[in-house]
Amino acid sequence: MSHEYVPEIAIDRDGKKHEVQGWQGDFYGGKLGFWLFMLTEVMMFGAMFLTLTYYYSLHHQDFIDASSHLNRLLGGTNTVVLLFSALTMGLGLLKMRTGDIKGAKLMIWATILLAIVFLGIKAVEWREEYTHGIFLGLDALQSGNEHSRPFGQILFYGMYFTMTGLHGFHIIIGIGLMLWLLKRINAGQVSTEHHILHFNIALYWDLVHLIWVFVFPYYYMIGAGNVH
Amino acid sequence: MSTNEHIDYKEQRLGYYKVLVGLLLLTTVTFIQPHMFLENYTFVTQLTIGAIKAWLILMYYMHMKGETLIGWTVAFAVSLVVVFFAIVITDVDSFQYKDDSHITSQPHIEVNYHHEATQHEASQHDVSHTTTHEK
Repeated sequence: MSHEYVPEIAIDRDGKKHEVQGWQGDFYGGKLGFWLFMLTEVMMFGAMFLTLTYYYSLHHQDFIDASSHLNRLLGGTNTVVLLFSALTMGLGLLKMRTGDIKGAKLMIWATILLAIVFLGIKAVEWREEYTHGIFLGLDALQSGNEHSRPFGQILFYGMYFTMTGLHGFHIIIGIGLMLWLLKRINAGQVSTEHHILHFNIALYWDLVHLIWVFVFPYYYMIGAGNVH
Repeated sequence: MSTNEHIDYKEQRLGYYKVLVGLLLLTTVTFIQPHMFLENYTFVTQLTIGAIKAWLILMYYMHMKGETLIGWTVAFAVSLVVVFFAIVITDVDSFQYKDDSHITSQPHIEVNYHHEATQHEASQHDVSHTTTHEK
């Protein structure tokens, strides 16, 4: 077997051959690779939504009763917060692509601020639920004691805390990625000509938003018309 | 979309704002639907609204519009998830251990208590039995 160096050859639109020196400028490849990563996220959350749908079909009324007790005002506010954060992220990328680096950084900071607001609201919501005795590990969500909720509700709240928790974890990761992006922009490693990192982090943030678009109706809205 | 194409900032920004307005309107519909229309079909209606919102985000915020290769890749992957969903839903419909499962049925707690009590009595009996033997 030969181990001699074989150069990668790329052909331009005129048919001329060039030896490839590196793949750092491969914008399309970077984008495609990140989409493949995002599809694994879709599979993970997809399996959770499938489980949720199955439990819903088994414990229909319990799910509606549990959903009607969630705080729709806080959940709805978070929906709008994420919606505006997707806008600031998109506008930031647009500013980066048109050469307005300062404007792009400002929009990334706005997105980080909105992400923190989202987490703050989520913390208030979880605290409210905890004070009502509804949290993972508390008696209400354990079978076989006098405080136990109906079994379907235990499943509902178990899935609710798992999925909103995992979503919140993605928000925290997103904040970290945006801070890293700002550092890279300041170091001149992300620019108008080389903005694939900014593009992919914006894609990630849109995915986080996309997941919430389904989490919100699944948990907060299915019991909205339930009258006590 | 490549890195060196000409971008009309104002036109693209207007596109972002239009999508924002569309998403806000759909969010409003999400809130009023359970109280105003299709009240008996809340679950399906809510997910349909969610799917429309997701389509807007995918096409315009995630720049899928005009992306042929990535578009087909995503469509193929999502169709695999849908097939997976369909198989699992069909399978669980005929779940043979439905009555024994703690997920598909309410756990029989009183039976467990009885079982524990019986075990307790049995162990008591064993102790007294052993004690009698020792005597």
